[in-house]
Parts: sequence; structure tokens; C-alpha cells
Amino acid sequence: MTLQTELAQTDVVLRLVGESGEGTVSLGDLAVKMFVMMGLDIYTFQTFPAEIKGGTVMYQIRARSGVPLSHGDAADVLIALNDEGFDLFGEGLREDGILLYDSDVFTPTPCPGRTDYGLPISALARIQKEAVRHEVTPEQLKRLPAPKNMVGLGALLRLVNAPLQPAEQYIRDLFGRKGEAIVQMNICALHTGADRVAEQIGSKRTPRLFPVPRTEPIITINGNQMLAMGAIAAGMRFYAGYPITPASEIMEFLAKELPRFGGNLIQAEDEMAAIGMCLGASYAGVKSMTASAGPGISLMVEQINLAGQAEIPLVVADIQRGGASTGMPTKTSQGDLNLALYGVHNESPRIVLAAASVEDCFWTTLEAFNLAEAYQCPVLLLSDQALATRKCTLPPPDLSQVKVVNRLTPTPEERAAGYKRYADTPTGISPMSVPGMEKGVYVSTGIEHDEEGNPGYTPELASKMKAKRFRKLETLRRERAHEFVRLWGDTGDLDVGIIAFGSTEGVIREATDRARAEGYKVGHLHLRMLNPLPVESVQEFAARCRQILVPELNFTGQLAGWLRVNTDIRFHPFHKDEGIPFLPNEIYRQITMLAGQ
Amino acid sequence: MATAPIQLTPKDYKSDLKPIWCAGCGDFGVLSALYKALSICNYDPEQTAIVSGIGCSSRLPGFVTTYGFHGVHGRALPIATGLKSSRPELNVVVVGGDGDGYSIGAGHFPHCARRNPDITYLIMNNNTYGLTKGQVSPTSMIPLASNDPKIDPKRWKTTPYGMTEDSLNPLAQAIAWDVSFVARAFSYKPNQLTDLLVQALQHKGFALLDVFSPCPTFNSDQTEDYYKEHVFDVPEDHDPTDRVKAFALSLCMDGYPIGVLYKHENKPSLLDEQAWLRQRFTQEPSAALEALFHTFD
Repeated sequence: MTLQTELAQTDVVLRLVGESGEGTVSLGDLAVKMFVMMGLDIYTFQTFPAEIKGGTVMYQIRARSGVPLSHGDAADVLIALNDEGFDLFGEGLREDGILLYDSDVFTPTPCPGRTDYGLPISALARIQKEAVRHEVTPEQLKRLPAPKNMVGLGALLRLVNAPLQPAEQYIRDLFGRKGEAIVQMNICALHTGADRVAEQIGSKRTPRLFPVPRTEPIITINGNQMLAMGAIAAGMRFYAGYPITPASEIMEFLAKELPRFGGNLIQAEDEMAAIGMCLGASYAGVKSMTASAGPGISLMVEQINLAGQAEIPLVVADIQRGGASTGMPTKTSQGDLNLALYGVHNESPRIVLAAASVEDCFWTTLEAFNLAEAYQCPVLLLSDQALATRKCTLPPPDLSQVKVVNRLTPTPEERAAGYKRYADTPTGISPMSVPGMEKGVYVSTGIEHDEEGNPGYTPELASKMKAKRFRKLETLRRERAHEFVRLWGDTGDLDVGIIAFGSTEGVIREATDRARAEGYKVGHLHLRMLNPLPVESVQEFAARCRQILVPELNFTGQLAGWLRVNTDIRFHPFHKDEGIPFLPNEIYRQITMLAGQ
Repeated sequence: MATAPIQLTPKDYKSDLKPIWCAGCGDFGVLSALYKALSICNYDPEQTAIVSGIGCSSRLPGFVTTYGFHGVHGRALPIATGLKSSRPELNVVVVGGDGDGYSIGAGHFPHCARRNPDITYLIMNNNTYGLTKGQVSPTSMIPLASNDPKIDPKRWKTTPYGMTEDSLNPLAQAIAWDVSFVARAFSYKPNQLTDLLVQALQHKGFALLDVFSPCPTFNSDQTEDYYKEHVFDVPEDHDPTDRVKAFALSLCMDGYPIGVLYKHENKPSLLDEQAWLRQRFTQEPSAALEALFHTFD
């Protein structure tokens, strides 16, 4: 086997499980850092309990040379720090997989095919701490945690045949200022973990992760962070929000970063205040956003409608989570599509976008702001828990490609000639003044109004003004909706075509590629804009497909319903809502099954 | 505060739109005092925004020549806070009724007090829901003299057997929350109302002016005459910076004090904090964005 083919095969899925709050996530983060330092690309999936302490957290890392499109199917290696985690997530390990468990905590029943390595991680970590007892001050000793993570990391790296040098370097950087004793304790812990596993491995085979030279700059970032970055790039200078899982990270990130850009952030008393503040800011001419999850978006619905009726640009990000009501706050779902599309009393125009990948969180958020400004209406931006917490390696976005759109404002001449805020125009878009503009005075209002903004409810006015507002969406559908679809896979006639939206893009691409490698003709249309639906793109695509699959992560098939409302295409819905993302194999099986029909 | 380049008169603030209020509505007096107060402060109408919620009194922004925002029920304070935070140089006034401010929007009140933005909140308190035609409101109350069992207080449309809930004391509440300016006026004492409104507008921070603005159509208890009988001026020797005394005055059981009850001068404001943060951290945006991406290397 040449080095080249071995490199191509570098693709390992690691799954870490343990009690929440006990360092499982930090161990996962450490492993991610090491893999990135080795030049590999990563893709993670995290699923948490809703509790702060206790409950089981699962952190899956796929590392490979070449960009991973999903978190992978079965894990090659499972690292179980407690028995509950093993019971809950052990099934995700492939039959011939490797299990590393903390033998201080539990001993799993052996299973034919599986290779088990027990390591007394806690005990080994305590020994390392004991060894430096006399080299640190009593104060330091009291606060010094036993280096469980480093024992675990050493073992993990050894299991995938990864070098320890990057970890050593990282330890030096991290603990250098705490003194050489602490650096050595951690390095010893790292080696102990690696050595103790190596003794057990002997000559058995384990997966291999080779370092890859990296030439281009790379960042490791998750969906929430990319979304926040997209908002900043778009010129958002006001954010208000209320804490909610899994959207809070956006507010926390922006609280720190927005002042650098001259922006303001307010943690509101509730979601109604949050969106109200954003409307006030946008009315004042400052681009604004709020982000929440389903329960919070529900509380915002009335004012999303106000933004539609009063024609105020606004971006509302919904980081979807599992279940109805409190549901499953830390799990993923695509269950808010209907809320985004239909969450309104009566009718008012809105745009609905969905980010397709971590990288796309940046670009779709940028587009969300540009569309909100261009069409003066609310833009609902869908992400979800899996995408929000998914860490990926990717090149930093090319900022020279960032095009920022600002709302149309009336010229001084237009204002002097008798300004009409809600002028009925061929596109439906009317110039919007902002407070402070000379002769631009108007009342922004949710009450039905005439072109000047004065209240009025005659039948003629009601129909004229509603048509004016909805004309904006028609303009958008006609002029730009087709730009918001992405086509993957085969061109020409297809055995199976897939239509999907949001965070499932990568996993569908991976499944599509797998099926295509076996000779199936498969294509994939991914929707980044749901409203207005790019109907022509959908119909053109559908015309090429013998069978169409519509996979989505909700119970009732919300995209399927929306396609039925807007098109006459026939398709096979595939929907489930279990709180976890699709696996490539699930989609692949659907493709091959349909191809055979 | 953004003033006009030339001295404006009350008429300059009057729009072409005619108020939709019933004849004899207390809100006319408030509107007229507002025109006067805006002219005394000489606010530039193009640099001023009046934000409201929903209700009879919330239609007010349309009757003024300033910028306006007529939003949804109960959310005027958050909308005004976002507006003021984004454009601190603008004059921001919030208007609305007791239902809007003390019921559906009540949750925003203490938090606006905590933030203390430079916003004036003018509440036209008619002790009922007027626009929805006479339901009980949080400030609906049993008349002061009605301890006499022979007097049968008004039965609201939603309390046909008599009120089942206690009424709310907005002034005591505002003082408890440390709203930095708390005053009450009466729409049939127009000069005093104008004067209090000017003080509220000129106060740096969040100012509440609760105005008794009787509803002649649905409230037969708290009428013009009723208030004329029961309001009294805040005693001249009252020290509004004494929070405990202000609180005591707001709890007065045998009449309604009119005037400035409480003042917390120089209370820190969210706007000042935000200005400080911006001044401390603002960088050139494109370089800052690039640098921010590098933190994910």
C-alpha cells in the first residue's frame, strides 16, 4: 500500500461518552485541536442532556484528510467514561470497533468482534497529581485537577496512531505559565495514557490518522459562531435576545464582539422585548437581529407580523431544537419550518431561509440581512442544534466576496415632493426614511394604512396595500429565488433526486456520493430559500427525476407539505424526529430502495 | 437633546390627522399639553420619535408632526429602547394607556427602569380599557368614598358581580423599581400637566408621567369631577430625592398626589454604558472582522 492510498483512507469516527460536566466535552475539544494540528479536517456532532450536571453527553468527532460531509455512520472508536454513556450510545460503535473504557468506573460485558481496552483513567490521573504534590504550593495543589483529560487524550491519540508531539506542544502553551511541574504532570499523564493503551494493543490493528501537511489557512468554527460572524459582516449593529438553548451562544459571542464593531447588544427580559428592541433599532436605521429557538420564536410571532405589515427589515434566527413545548432543548430538529412559514395571524410577507452547512451559516446570514434590507420585511433564518454546535474545519470565508445591501431610502427630492413611506410601486418596494431625515416624517404602523402611513380600512385600500406588500415576494421569487438552491450530484436524468433543506445538506451529499459510486444516477437539490419557494428550480429538477425523496427531521413532513402547497410534483417523504441528525447510511438506504422501484 | 434651529410653536407639532377620540376624552388635554411641552423644549420634529402600543391613547403618534412608531399592544418600551440605543441623539417619547403599560406590557417596566434609557413614558391612565369598550383594567379602582356600603361602584363589563382583583398602584411600583423620574398629572389641570411634561422630557433618564385622563364613555367612576375632588398637589416641602418619603406619598390612601414624587438624578444609564463600550472597543470593521476569524485558527 502506497502512502498516497493510505492517506486517502484516513477517515476515523471517534465517539466520546460520559457524564455531563465531567470533562467529556473538554476531552472532545482537545482531540479536535490535536487533529486540526495534524492537518486533518474534522466534523463533529454533540448531543447533550438538558441538565448542567449529570446526564450523558455524547461528542462524536470525524477526522479525515479531506473535508468530511457528515459525522459519519458507526464509530470506529468509542471512548466510554461511564456505563450510562456506554449503554445509551454504545450501539453507535461498529461491530468490529474498538472500545476504550474507564475501568475505574465500570467493566462492560465483552462482545464478540469488539476489541476492548480498559484503562483506569481516574486512578492514573490521581497518581500523576500525587507525583507533583511536593513541587507545587499547597494552594496550587488544592485547585489542581487530576489530569484525567490528558490520560484520556494520550490513550485516544495512541488508539488512532496519532503522534503525541502536537499535544505536548499544546500542553506547554496552555500550562506554561503555571510552572514546569504542572506542564510535566500533564505531559506524563498524556504518555501514561498512551503507554498503558499501547501495552494492551500489542500487535493488534487500530485505525490510523496520519498527519497531513496543510498549506491553506483554516479555521475551526461551529454554526452558531459562523451565523454571528455573518451578521457582523452584513453590518448588523444591534442585537437583542433572551437566553435559550441552543441559541444563547450567538448572544454570548456577540456580547463580546459587537462593541468592537460599534454595535450594541441588550439581553432582554423576554423574547417579546428582544424582537421589539430589534424593530426599534431597525426603524432607526440600524440593522438588527434576534436569535432564539422554537419556544422563543413562538413569543415573537406577533412582532414578526408587525415587521411584515409595517415593512421593517429584521432578521430572526431560529436555532431549532427537538420536540414541542419544552420538548428536547438540547436535541436537534427541523420542526420549526411550519412556524417559520406560517407562524402569523392573517397574512404578511416574510422571507424564510435555511443555512445548509457551517460555512453556509455565514453566507446565508449575510443574505438574510441583504434580503431583509432589500425587501423591507422580516427574514426567518433557520438553523438547528446539530448545525449550531457542529464544529468544522474550513477556510476562512473570502471577505472580498461579501456584498452588503442597504435599504432603499428616499432622495431629498423625493422627500421634498411629498414623501409617501408606503408608496405603491411596481416592485412593491418603497423608499424608507429613517428618523432624522428632513421631510421624511411618517408613522411606522401595524394598522392597515394608506401610502402615507395614515390608518385606513376601506376595501379598496385593504386590497391595494396587501397586494403591494406581497408584490415584494413576487419580485423576489421572479428575480432571485433560483439563486437560493444548490444542485449536487449527477446532471441529466436521475434514478433518484433528493429535495431537502437546512442542516442535512452534507449528510445527503455523502449518501448521494456513495450511491453514485455504485452506479446509481442520483442528484440533490438543496433549498436555502423556503419562502418564496424557488418553484421553477424545484419543478425543473423534479422533471429530471424518476423518483424523488424528500428527507427532513420532523414528524409530520413539513417540507413535504410545503412542496404540495406550491407544486404538483410527486415524491416520497422520509421524515422522522428523534432529536438526532440523519446518518449517511439511512439516506443511502432510501436512495437504493427507491432506485429499485 | 435635538432641538430645532428656530423656535417652534405648539402648532408646528400638530399634524393634519384629526384625533379619533370621543368628545370629552381626557386625551385631548394631554395631546394639547404635549404640543406645548414639545415647543417649550423646542424639539426638532424630524429628530424626535414617538412610540406607542395599542389603545385609544396609542393612536397619538399620528397626531404629531414627529416621526412615529405605532406598534403592537404592550411593546412600546422595548421598541423605544432599541430605537434610543441605536440612535441616542434622537428624542424618544413613549405614549400609551394603562392597559398597554401596566397590563400587557407591564413586564417591560422594571427592566426599562434598570436600563434607565433617556426616554419619557407618558401614560394616559383612564382606569379602563377604552378601545375594547369598557373592560376592567389594572388601574380600575373602587372610588375613594365608596367605603360607604350604600355606594355601588361601577361594575365593568368583565366584572358584572363587582371587581375581583385589587387595583395596581403604578407610582408605588415605579418608585420601588427606581424609575429615575416619577410624576403624576391630571389632564384637566393643563398648565401643571405641561410643566410636568416638560420636566419629564428634560429629565435625563427613564421618566414616567402617569396622567389621569378620564374616559367619558366607559368610566363613570373616575370622571373629571371625581379627580377634581380627589387630587392634591404634592406638598411643597416634599423632597423627591428621598425615596422612602416618595414611596410613602405614593401610598397615600385619601387622595391622589399630583406633581413630581420621585427623582433619582444621575442614575447610571444603559446608554452611557453602551457609549463607553463602543468608545473603548470600536475598531475599523473590516480589519476587526478578519482578526476575529483568526481567533478560530
